[in-house]
Amino acid sequence: MSFDFHEPASIAEAVALAARFGTEARFLAGGTDLLVQIRRKRVAPRHVVSLHRVPGLDTIDANGEIRLGALVTHRALERAPAFQGALRALVEGARVVGGHQIRNVGTVGGNIVNASPAADVVPVLLVLDAAVTCVGPNGAREMKLDEFLLGPGETALRPDELLTSIRFPAPALRSATGFLKAGRRRAMEISVVCVAVWLSLDGDDRCAGVRISLGAVGPRALRSCDRPVESSPRTVSRSRTSAHRQPTGGFSWKHSFRARSGQR
Amino acid sequence: MKTRVLGKSLPRFDAPGKVTGTLVYAADFSLPGMLVGKVFRSTEAHARLAHLDTTRANGLPGVRGIITAADVPDVRYGGAVKDETVLARDRVRYVGQPIAAVAATTLEAAEAALAAIVATYEPLTPVFDVETATAPDAPLLHPDWRTYTAMPILHREGNVCNRARIVAGDVERGFAEADRIFEHRFRTAMVHQGYTEPRAAVAQWDSAGTVTVWSNTQLPFEIQNTLAEILAIAPSKIRVVVPGIGGGFGGKLRVGVEHVAALLAKRAGRPVKVLTTAEEELTAAYPRQATIVELKTGVTRDGRITAKHGRIWFDTGAFAGSGPGVASVATLVLAGPYRIPNLDLEGHAVYTNKTNCGSFRAPSGPQSNFAVESQMDIIADALGLDPLDFRLKNIVREGDEGPTGQVLNAVGLEECLVKAADAIGWNDRRPGRWRGKGLACGRWTTTGGSSGVYVKINTDGTIALNTGAAEIGTAALTGAAQVLAEELSVDLEDINVVSADTFSTPFDFGAQGSRTAFAVGNACRAAAVDLTRQLYALAAPHLGVEPEACALRDKHVVADGKSLSLAELARLSQATGGGLIAHGTFIAPPTPYDTKRVESHAYPAFHSPSFHAHAAEVSVDPETGEITVENYVVAQDVGFAMNPTYIEGQIEGGVAQGLGQALSEEIVYDGGRVRNPNLTDYKMPTTLDVPRVQTILVQHPSLVGPYGAKGVGEPPNIEPPATVANAIAAATGVRITSLPITAEKVALALRDVTARSAES
Repeated sequence: MSFDFHEPASIAEAVALAARFGTEARFLAGGTDLLVQIRRKRVAPRHVVSLHRVPGLDTIDANGEIRLGALVTHRALERAPAFQGALRALVEGARVVGGHQIRNVGTVGGNIVNASPAADVVPVLLVLDAAVTCVGPNGAREMKLDEFLLGPGETALRPDELLTSIRFPAPALRSATGFLKAGRRRAMEISVVCVAVWLSLDGDDRCAGVRISLGAVGPRALRSCDRPVESSPRTVSRSRTSAHRQPTGGFSWKHSFRARSGQR
Repeated sequence: MKTRVLGKSLPRFDAPGKVTGTLVYAADFSLPGMLVGKVFRSTEAHARLAHLDTTRANGLPGVRGIITAADVPDVRYGGAVKDETVLARDRVRYVGQPIAAVAATTLEAAEAALAAIVATYEPLTPVFDVETATAPDAPLLHPDWRTYTAMPILHREGNVCNRARIVAGDVERGFAEADRIFEHRFRTAMVHQGYTEPRAAVAQWDSAGTVTVWSNTQLPFEIQNTLAEILAIAPSKIRVVVPGIGGGFGGKLRVGVEHVAALLAKRAGRPVKVLTTAEEELTAAYPRQATIVELKTGVTRDGRITAKHGRIWFDTGAFAGSGPGVASVATLVLAGPYRIPNLDLEGHAVYTNKTNCGSFRAPSGPQSNFAVESQMDIIADALGLDPLDFRLKNIVREGDEGPTGQVLNAVGLEECLVKAADAIGWNDRRPGRWRGKGLACGRWTTTGGSSGVYVKINTDGTIALNTGAAEIGTAALTGAAQVLAEELSVDLEDINVVSADTFSTPFDFGAQGSRTAFAVGNACRAAAVDLTRQLYALAAPHLGVEPEACALRDKHVVADGKSLSLAELARLSQATGGGLIAHGTFIAPPTPYDTKRVESHAYPAFHSPSFHAHAAEVSVDPETGEITVENYVVAQDVGFAMNPTYIEGQIEGGVAQGLGQALSEEIVYDGGRVRNPNLTDYKMPTTLDVPRVQTILVQHPSLVGPYGAKGVGEPPNIEPPATVANAIAAATGVRITSLPITAEKVALALRDVTARSAES
């Protein structure tokens, strides 16, 4: 394999390179998918455009609305103080991606663009109703992640576009998220199935809304449920019966909802 | 016993190089001008090789040599059956079989050359499982099997490359005496040894026609002899050196890349390195055989086993490999560590169109034990007996006979079972709640074979230990060095070990079969006896005493209140004689057995057998079937613990590897192709999957081992599948009879139970 290696210093420069080389170019973020694909000869880009010198792509902005730069690593998601409460599914999804070495360099933007049906963070972002920003030669456009993902390895990203950030609303009061993954082992594992859930309670502790997304069971992560529901909190507790075998687990749902939703 | 060095948890001599990264592994080894060797492999499972065209590949830039079957000696080699050629000649028998090899200046050039080689095949009917292969009308993988050279004792017939058998007593009479007869069938999957370092070899020829091969083999002398056959030159023209090895577990016993490196280096006139990829490891190495086991066991109402009829079929792949021997060993394991007066046990090794299987830590042990010990729990449940009590009622004890009539001594099995059960909290079992505890036990051999060492005392008082055995990561040579240090009253760090070079080190049967510390340790004792005699003879006149009055104490020969240090004596010896040099040899004495009980058997008795019991507590998710091993205990009779820390390390590692076979690992074949030839989809356990393992060292000293030691490396790999299967059955009420026990199997079995109870 051989390719030209480019290190643009701005988004505009990166996008210009992509526009110039078209399908012969690939952006390099963490490289944990791209380099494997190159080695397995599934792709053979003539130009690799590294994003590491582009400033601002690796920041997490959690003041109000949440904004993740595309180069935020899984390790950064795991460790972000802002995600330890109601958004904990982000931590739970990020911490079961690959092993430590993968999480240290693999990025959330790369995970989305790679469009694996089994990507662990994607179902979480779907239940958070995330939107992605893509920048091309003609400027930026934003679309819902749900519309961005098309199928295995396929997204609405154009060849000359760069996914630069992901955003989603700040968690509502009395809302919480959860993520579970099943596989044959507890690390270095591609999901057999994974599920992310967001839900919120009303003032009477009744479930006011729920969103569920499933990974690894279709051509892309699926939003399987997205509606306000009428139910008692006890209905919800069934969904956590599998939680005890998660490496992230060790909690009971009843105990955790308050902590997760940021309530004290 | 008061000891200076032995029995202490001292740090291994190879640790600093390994933890600092300075140790040179075979995969790191490099020579100036070295070329990269790659193998062109069959894409067909069973076909006639109609045409092979290397013309275009030969002309590519960087290519320095290509070999095909036409370029190498027409030799069939192999262990029990000589049925294999270096490169396929007219027929390919598995996807991944070597057909040609290329030496090139870079990896890229070598890979480009492989892509330019064209092979044309005419398909033959493939055989993918032992049932088909043993059917009367099965296509023969080796139509010329009768012409192959083989061990004379083997019983071969068509696709069966050995059928070994043990017959004792009269099973029909035994079944007639039984109140209940249980028949079950079990299956196990093909699994890889999972060594960290892939197989690697560098070969270089010199002007005298001698080839040196640096290889991460476990058996340098075996490789030397096999290369002599393959290259058709004298063994003395072949030097095999073992640098560091990143794990072997039986997968590096047989020639794998060494012959390719040597043949390419000869062709190209430059040194050549061959290093396998993960894909090559999982499609064309020597994994553990998949098996089918059928057991018929008769028991009395009160839980006494009267008879056992057992059969096991090993899917040995395209060549016999270790199959004929492994099928023999299996019959000993199928007996279980129990008193059973009537036995009829058969092991079959069967050719199929898959990669050639080999040896993997306790070959045949986990498969056979999984069946035997799963059935023990099934029977106990049916009879309403506690599984521990049922075992204690039937286990072998001191002075009992093994299945082939060998007399057993130093039998620590009861102590192992009771201690493992106590540690897991056997009597604190609460039914239900999706948690369960399971037990399994077994015995294993300490493989024989000979070992030799050279030992000299240096003028600074340190000791050079020169052994033909390789340190494959078990710390076995640290154990042997501890024996030598103890005998010579020096410290472990006074011993410098030189190992595994067929030109300069004495013969050793190799790092296999739990034998290294045992056999090399005994050879060290023999050398120390000789050296001690030399030391006393040298020191006595200077100390003014008779040699018999001398003693070794703290690096000195002492007598009559006077002393001379080993350093002084070494200098004295160099000035007046030829230095303090000795050699020691050991070969395990034959284990007597009843020859009338065995047929076509390559391994009729377990030497210095070890005994062990495992216990586990698991929890199972009733909805997903996911299994968590919560606690794990091993009580192992090691005879004498030379270095407790490294024995515990062997046990913990063996359990981790065994849990992989039990729960997650499987080379998946589909139509002759491996579906998961990478370490993403071949699932070895991670640290998060393996619980803390509690180890209990039981010590019933063997008669032969150094200080009573028994082999320790293989046994901990035997019982995990059965132990976990029994714990899962206790937790869920469902019995999974095939490995690996995946969450899917458990969930589906639980769903079946639910469905059946809904119908009734």
